[in-house]
Amino acid sequence: MSVRRSPSSGWSFVAASVPWRGFSQRFSFFVFSALALLLLVLSHVQPEMISSFRARTIDTLAPFLDAVARPMSAVEDIGASLRDTVSLRADNTKLRAENAHMVEWQNAVISLEKENRELRDLLHFKAEPSQSYISARVIADTGGAYARGLIVTAGKADGVREGMAAMTGEGLIGRVVEAGNWSSRIMLITDLNSRIPVAVARTGDRAILAGDNSPQPKLLFMPRDAAVFDGARIVTSGHGGIFPPNLPVGVLQEAGHGDYHVIPAADIGRVNDVRLVDFDLKGGIFNSIESRMRAESKKK
Amino acid sequence: MDIFWQRLDAWFRIAMPSATAVLLALLGVVVWPLPYLGPVMPPLAFIALFYWSAHRPDLFPSGVAFLLGVLNDVINGFPLGVSAFLFTLAHQLIWRQRRFFAGHSFFMLWSGFALASALMMVAEWLLIGLVRWQATPFLPVLVQTVLAIVVFPLPCWIMIWLQRSVLSAG
Repeated sequence: MSVRRSPSSGWSFVAASVPWRGFSQRFSFFVFSALALLLLVLSHVQPEMISSFRARTIDTLAPFLDAVARPMSAVEDIGASLRDTVSLRADNTKLRAENAHMVEWQNAVISLEKENRELRDLLHFKAEPSQSYISARVIADTGGAYARGLIVTAGKADGVREGMAAMTGEGLIGRVVEAGNWSSRIMLITDLNSRIPVAVARTGDRAILAGDNSPQPKLLFMPRDAAVFDGARIVTSGHGGIFPPNLPVGVLQEAGHGDYHVIPAADIGRVNDVRLVDFDLKGGIFNSIESRMRAESKKK
Repeated sequence: MDIFWQRLDAWFRIAMPSATAVLLALLGVVVWPLPYLGPVMPPLAFIALFYWSAHRPDLFPSGVAFLLGVLNDVINGFPLGVSAFLFTLAHQLIWRQRRFFAGHSFFMLWSGFALASALMMVAEWLLIGLVRWQATPFLPVLVQTVLAIVVFPLPCWIMIWLQRSVLSAG
């Protein structure tokens, strides 16, 4: 045991007790690989149990991830402020022009809003359920080469539920797939398993936004006669009752052969803060009945 | 009191390889200030596993490899058990071949890692595809493997330094 050569020949440390170590190594290899295979089977048979185990483990790890993430985001902030300083003049000119444009839009919106309200009153239109936001910071970018996900610092204690839409200021980025007490996992819209009902904002043509791990998810089941064009805005359709309708998603891009991609409005490669959309409909038909009953009892 | 410090010191030494592995696993999922790195982030946990299984299997037994795999599965959202199984298997193979990996030049260690990580990545890709019954694009896996081989010296030097300063002292 006392023989210690250079650190790179650390095995000599073990060599002294090789026969017993060899046996115990082999034995524990079989035990642990069997255990790992058991876990694989369990995650297929008991997905809920495994999912809650995951959520609890991530809750435990969240403070550590947060502690490591903070200096990283500080570095990124410094980089961003340097870039901003460099482009200050150009940005300023651009913003002035945009601002003038926006004032025109604002006027248009105000008059349209008034008109809209009057027309809704005429039709006795039932208002959309209200929505509020839960803000959270991104502490981990997970999934590696196989999935696209984030871990954020908000959980059930903050009112997060599975299925909630996750957004940045620009648009939809994904939905909550696992909610722990203090942290949640978000599946991004670019993930291979992400399927979200969307619509073309102008025409209302419906489709399914399907991720494929590439930065630009595909549109599936687009009607053949849909009048689509490059740059058409894609929004959530609200079908299925999980997401509120009309959340911005991105713009459409034709990929040839009747295939369409969506360029996400949010810069999914660099998300630091997210908003989780707390939508009144909890998803599914029973919840929509429940919320209707609640709305009616409020009226009384 | 002296005994207390000695014990603490001993525990620190024993826990050091596992602690570096856990830390590297967590660093592997942190949002780095480089945009778009996420999908091709090199598997830092595997680098730690490779180094310690080859150099100090006495302080890095298969149980630790298994737990590191479970951690890797949980934080990455992989099907639970995939990394746990592959890490246990890799640990066993590296442990058996450690005379080839360790104790020679750094170049030998590096080429050993190149081989091991290529095998590991292909196995991981196959196993995840099999478990989910869904083919995932192979290109990110390839980029990830190349990146892993390229960045290997950095975490490796840190671990060599730790091994020399913490484990060999005293």
